[in-house]
Amino acid sequence: MGIPSVIRWAIVLMALPTLLFGLAGVASASSASPGTGWVRLAHLSPNTPAVDVYLYSFGDPSAELVLHHVGYGAVSPYQPVNAGDYTVAMRAAGAGATTKPVLSATLAVVAGHAYTVAGLGPESGLRLQVLDDQLTTPPDEALVRVVQASLRQHIVTVTYGGNSVVSDLAFASVSSYKAVHPATAALHIAGPNETVSSTISLAAGTVHTVVVLDAANGLSVDNILDAQGSAVMPAGGAATGLGGTAPHAPSPLPWLLLIGAGSLAVAAGSLRLRRLGRKRA
Amino acid sequence: MRAYAAKHARSATWRVRASETPAGKRAALIVLAIGMTLAGAGAAGLVLARHPVAARWDAVIPLPAPTGRIDPARPSQPGAVPQPVSLIIPSLGVQTSLIHLGLTASGDLQVPTSTRVAGWYTGSARPGAIGPAVIAGHIDSRSGPGVFFHLDQLRRGDRVYIRRADGTLVVFRVTTVQMYAKDGFPTLAVYGPVPDPELRLVTCGGTFDPDAHSYLSNTVVYAVETS
Repeated sequence: MGIPSVIRWAIVLMALPTLLFGLAGVASASSASPGTGWVRLAHLSPNTPAVDVYLYSFGDPSAELVLHHVGYGAVSPYQPVNAGDYTVAMRAAGAGATTKPVLSATLAVVAGHAYTVAGLGPESGLRLQVLDDQLTTPPDEALVRVVQASLRQHIVTVTYGGNSVVSDLAFASVSSYKAVHPATAALHIAGPNETVSSTISLAAGTVHTVVVLDAANGLSVDNILDAQGSAVMPAGGAATGLGGTAPHAPSPLPWLLLIGAGSLAVAAGSLRLRRLGRKRA
Repeated sequence: MRAYAAKHARSATWRVRASETPAGKRAALIVLAIGMTLAGAGAAGLVLARHPVAARWDAVIPLPAPTGRIDPARPSQPGAVPQPVSLIIPSLGVQTSLIHLGLTASGDLQVPTSTRVAGWYTGSARPGAIGPAVIAGHIDSRSGPGVFFHLDQLRRGDRVYIRRADGTLVVFRVTTVQMYAKDGFPTLAVYGPVPDPELRLVTCGGTFDPDAHSYLSNTVVYAVETS
């Protein structure tokens, strides 16, 4: 009578850890690097001398990132940063870290998002612009956008493989993203009286920024790979274990034998007691 | 003679009964008590010893950091980055060559046939190029630990080294270690686009389902390139 209920409880208690572990496994499935975004810095003002660029986490006087002597055309790699508010300050190259910056801008970094903070425009009208950078592409396509940083040619029209990317893009402006079919093709940039061509590969799932720059004798093109993922993503997780080290539940047999032996003893004892009682009566 | 014997037999029976009754009761009570104790101990043991026990395996023996030229360049063109040839995780004592992994016919990630080596998914970024480079290895074989047995012991800030075909090293810094149920695997977070060179180390974890011959979860280590 007591033993079946003990076993019932044992079963309930046995199931508990499994339930708890199962729940824990589900609960830990959260996003990748929680709270991280990316920032990169660029100097795209043709007639502005080299600068030092500082990235400050808002309210923290020590810089998170300092790039020294950043010249025209330089685009830094992306830096992973915690989500939050930041200030970008530009100082003349070599100026003290505590001197008043020439320019500054603020940006709010959202987790999982990427930003380019670019110095754009002529030196006389230099500004820091925060660009929201896209990381993901439509399926099986590439994304490309154009930053027009040429003073030689104030307006440019860009084609890729003969298809228009952007028309009449003015100096110091940035085109929106254009989805293109993956290819290796000619990127053609035409200003009012100068053109430049470059063969570039745009793979599926990649995001590119094309920067039109002034070179010594004409235009030049910088094709920057902004983001890339696996072109073909495997389905689901990985079968990377055969179980040889998995914890094994111990055999319940010794305990069941003990219970059995005990029960027999209890039964024998009770029987004997009852018989003795009957005899005395 | 017969009467004598009968009288004596009766008196003997009586004698036995007179002396037996309290002792017999005591013995029966003792048997009853022992039985209850055994059954109780057995039930308690059954309840308390249900936690699965893991066998003890070798502890981590850390390795020194590898030496070689660390390539700080971040070429924006993937073709410019040499292929990975080996993986070193000093804090876990892991040092393995890297085989190449593709996809199975059903579109799953291939896994190394040997549980002693890790593999790089050739559809992912080359380590050091922009994008997540994905490396998978077994937590165990049928009989013991695999190359990524201790992977879940990596902590934020730990370094992971990849040696490439040209002998250069690329160094990654662990940002987070996560465990996911396989039916909730975050494909985009692991394989999806990122704007910087990153690394993902994937192995199994969680509960082993002996019927399916498979662990129910994956452990994923996320790391970013560092200099």
